[in-house]
Amino acid sequence: MSETTLDQTPQSDAREGVASSDRRKFLRKSVALAATGAAAAAAGNAYGDVDLETVKEPLEDGPTRNILGRGVVSVPYGMPSKFEKDVVRRNVSWLTADTVASISFTPWQDLNGIITPNGLHFERHHAGAVDVDPETHQLVIHGMVDKPMIFSMDDLKRMPSHTAIHFLECPANGAMEWRGVQMDSMQFTHGMMSCSEWTGVKLTDLMEYVGVDPKSTWLYAEGTDGSALQRSIPMEGAKDQFGEPLPADSCEMYKDAMIAYAQNGEALRPENGYPIRFLLPGCEANMSIKWLRRIKFVDKPLVTYQETRHYIEPLPDGTIRQFTLVNEANSVINYPCPDYQMKGKGAYEIRGIAWSGRGKVAHVDVSVDGGKNWQEAELVEPVLSKCVTKFKLPFEWKGDEHLIMSRVTDETGYVQPTLMQLRKVRGFNSIYHKNSIQAWKIEKTGEVKNVQIENF
Amino acid sequence: MSKLKTSKFGLGLAAGAMALGLSTAGIAAEHASGFNGIGKNITDKAIEPWDISVFYDGTNLPKGSGSVADGEQPYQAQCAMCHGDFGEGAEGYPKMAGDPMPQFINSLKQGLDGVGNRGVNNAWGHAPTLFDMIKRHMPFYAPGTMGVDESYAVTCYVLNLGGIVDMDFTCSDETLADVEMPSAEYFVTDTRPDTNNQRCMSDCTDEEPEVVYSAVEGVSG
Ligand code: HEC
Repeated sequence: MSETTLDQTPQSDAREGVASSDRRKFLRKSVALAATGAAAAAAGNAYGDVDLETVKEPLEDGPTRNILGRGVVSVPYGMPSKFEKDVVRRNVSWLTADTVASISFTPWQDLNGIITPNGLHFERHHAGAVDVDPETHQLVIHGMVDKPMIFSMDDLKRMPSHTAIHFLECPANGAMEWRGVQMDSMQFTHGMMSCSEWTGVKLTDLMEYVGVDPKSTWLYAEGTDGSALQRSIPMEGAKDQFGEPLPADSCEMYKDAMIAYAQNGEALRPENGYPIRFLLPGCEANMSIKWLRRIKFVDKPLVTYQETRHYIEPLPDGTIRQFTLVNEANSVINYPCPDYQMKGKGAYEIRGIAWSGRGKVAHVDVSVDGGKNWQEAELVEPVLSKCVTKFKLPFEWKGDEHLIMSRVTDETGYVQPTLMQLRKVRGFNSIYHKNSIQAWKIEKTGEVKNVQIENF
Repeated sequence: MSKLKTSKFGLGLAAGAMALGLSTAGIAAEHASGFNGIGKNITDKAIEPWDISVFYDGTNLPKGSGSVADGEQPYQAQCAMCHGDFGEGAEGYPKMAGDPMPQFINSLKQGLDGVGNRGVNNAWGHAPTLFDMIKRHMPFYAPGTMGVDESYAVTCYVLNLGGIVDMDFTCSDETLADVEMPSAEYFVTDTRPDTNNQRCMSDCTDEEPEVVYSAVEGVSG
């Protein structure tokens, strides 16, 4: 009997009761072990070859058993357990001179799903997070439109709403690793990305309402913070300042855009643009302007500070690549990762996250031998467009060294590159969009290290 | 019943509801815009104070001017503490002048570390962008508080620090778009995908992986 035939009756466990379910698990395990050529079950452990300890001391009640806990609303806005106090956003102090124009990272090593809790969404500010009053805040839409209009926050909430789960990723995610291995935590190698359910008004609905001129090929969005951050967003037919067309896929991105007022069901957090932000799924998150106050439809790009000084890629051929807007597919294993030690030999589940700015994740393959052989991981539903997808694969650790890594293929057929492939075309100074395959090394001691493979 | 007449789409539903004595005329059918009556119109004149964005080619530069000389005093008073007396950067804040263009390009070609060496003389393709950025975002501690002429003046001073305009230059809505930025001709638009990895599943390489570890421990955080 193969594992596949066992998997075809997943419901039967519940119906047949515990004894049968145990037997089924035993069967399944034996099959898996046999398939990997492992030794038969050792004495004292019906499930495998690792000896288990036996508890002989009688159990004692824990400290919470004989006391009263806190009443309802003692914490009116609930917080995580005090034992989870280390699951927080972090920054890297030497990256920027000031926390007001800086970035913080999401602790993906501690997250188990695809949604980033709102308090853990990464932050990127250019003049700090501001508290914008929704009573007085307004959004202007103008430029190449029939009717220039202004909307209050109440106006936006009356409009047809749109809800979708999307990741936002700073194109600098992984940037500190371009030249070599630096960071000993997954939070810092991949934490400039977060994923939320967003609700707001679809940009294309608003475009219809204000009557956008079909000759408009760009729009730009602007915030009401101290940096009044602004980015140009291409539409069909967009050309750069030299008359060269933008890639067709980046000109389609605006179709998924929205003016978002809610994040995971509640109002946006101030750090993420309260009361409204532009949300441009699939593109570098800098374009998803926070504290949004104005959208203008135009027929050429602004070429803003962000578009010429920051989010550019100086390349080894001596050119400076601009408007690299789409976040290409990326993936990483978040369990195990450098933030944890292996806790003894035996069974583990390799788990990770994959995402693509061009659409859905199609496959994630995992290698535990440094990229020689790969096995397709299971994708966990839901698998959504421009959204984090979780993957998992069973893994037996026998105490050996392993180089573990994941490789995503998205629905366009694009395969996540190796670091060497990226460096070959982009050199060392391009900083942004480092989406290469991430290797972790499991040492014999159980330590997990961030490493790079230098030859392929 | 006047409600019924104004509703273009709700007739079918409304007819049924009339029998119940209720009005469902407000329930828009599927093709209704869902926007009826929402928001306000606004005149261009009313938007003007917010319509501040300057295009790369100088479109929408406000009327005004300021020379390099005019910029010295405000730059030294309001900018130098972070960006350096000569634009070399201070206390970790960005440089105004980075590597000159030939050196910048050389670093790229040779794989040398050029990341910290960006500045107005290598990564800024268009001078009007610099005015726009300084006017909206600087000085950092009081963004958007400088006047138009003062913004032209410090922009001009910064351009001079970058070796882009002479000491006697005056920046204005008429001159800025014509300032030649050293990097302008180096920009190319997105050429990705630029990698072509294959989805190989077994025996993908004969080579043993050369593994590189972190050179320094504890640089995180
Ligand atoms: C308190 C420190 C501080 C002061 C004072 C200050 N700046 Fe800045 N400046 C910054 C920071 C921080 C940034 C980066 C902002 C960002 O990340 O968006 C910056 C960025 C810049 C840049 C872009 C530099 C680049 O990376 O190419 C220019 C130009 C600039 N400032 C000009 C000025 C001018 C002109 C003044 C004076 C009117 C000024 N600054 C005053 C902190 C300062």
